[in-house]
Amino acid sequence: MSGGRRKEEPPQPQLANGALRVSVWSKVLRSDAAWEDKDEFLDVIYWFRQIIAVVLGVIWGVLPLRGFLGIAGFCLINAGVLYLYFSNYLQIDEEEYGGTWELTKEGFMTSFALFMVCVADSFTVGHLDHLLHGHPL
Amino acid sequence: VPRKRKRGLSVGVGVSLGGRGVWGSGFRFAFAGSRARPPRRVGVRGRRGAMSTMFADTLLIVFISVCTALLAEGITWVLVYRTDKYKRLKAEVEKQSKKLEKKKETITESAGRQQKKKIERQEEKLKNNNRDLSMVRMKSMFAIGFCFTALMGMFNSIFDGRVVAKLPFTPLSYIQGLSHRNLLGDDTTDCSFIFLYILCTMSIRQNIQKILGLAPSRAATKQAGGFLGPPPPSGKFS
Repeated sequence: MSGGRRKEEPPQPQLANGALRVSVWSKVLRSDAAWEDKDEFLDVIYWFRQIIAVVLGVIWGVLPLRGFLGIAGFCLINAGVLYLYFSNYLQIDEEEYGGTWELTKEGFMTSFALFMVCVADSFTVGHLDHLLHGHPL
Repeated sequence: VPRKRKRGLSVGVGVSLGGRGVWGSGFRFAFAGSRARPPRRVGVRGRRGAMSTMFADTLLIVFISVCTALLAEGITWVLVYRTDKYKRLKAEVEKQSKKLEKKKETITESAGRQQKKKIERQEEKLKNNNRDLSMVRMKSMFAIGFCFTALMGMFNSIFDGRVVAKLPFTPLSYIQGLSHRNLLGDDTTDCSFIFLYILCTMSIRQNIQKILGLAPSRAATKQAGGFLGPPPPSGKFS
């Protein structure tokens, strides 16, 4: 399959530096959407990473998934899901955005910190439940 | 606080043997005539209270982090963002960064010396503008630093010695100095205020900047040097 060029769409103004218009989100799930503005696409990747961090953080904390296996799992899933999204689903040309590494590191550290906060919070709640019901006095 | 009850001799003996009275006593004998509740309920209630407090602390710290991030952006807006000088410099830096990036993408290895010199001059100009931009932001950095030093001192004393969350893993040894700061005991999965606050700030502040549209553009960040790397080399064609 050929890479990234899709049908032209009229350029749409974007909110400054990171906030996204509602119309951008309507393009997100369309594999034939055109992404003329690189920053817009990178912002989508950024926010997707944050959403994945919150979801995985809550799930990991509730399960719970202990140890560094959980952290490694998060890193792999976070990078892997987004890679599949932009490479297989959207089929964009990574070189236009500086390569796969640039796309992978977009928002990664922030999402990692957010994941840690969510996992600590949800694990604390789960820990409360476990202590009360798992250890009779 | 234990409820007051009539204490007979048996209960008095229990108190003297067990320590804190029937409610907190580890002494499990039920003396004849004592009207003590079984210790089981006391332990569970005590633990439930402690864990509820822990979860409340966790939420409070997230809330504090949101508030401090908004405060920092507010101070920066008052002192920096709304000034004409900053707006002008920022627009200039973003324009130059984008222009430079485009030029670097289109130029080839065999480009003339004049073109390379032109790019070097533009990079120098951009570097100077970035430096001026940093100087303008310095004002707000001092103000924020001053405020946050006071706030952190206050929060540290409030949360001193308190376990605010449980971690599902044992942090690396050099991080334990932060994650287990001022906490009693050897359980390294206990999380201190400062560690959770740092994590919250790292995640929440940048997201707030992005939502409010106050984050610097990627091109400008790239030219100034990002988190994971040094600034791009100037004169790459020389």
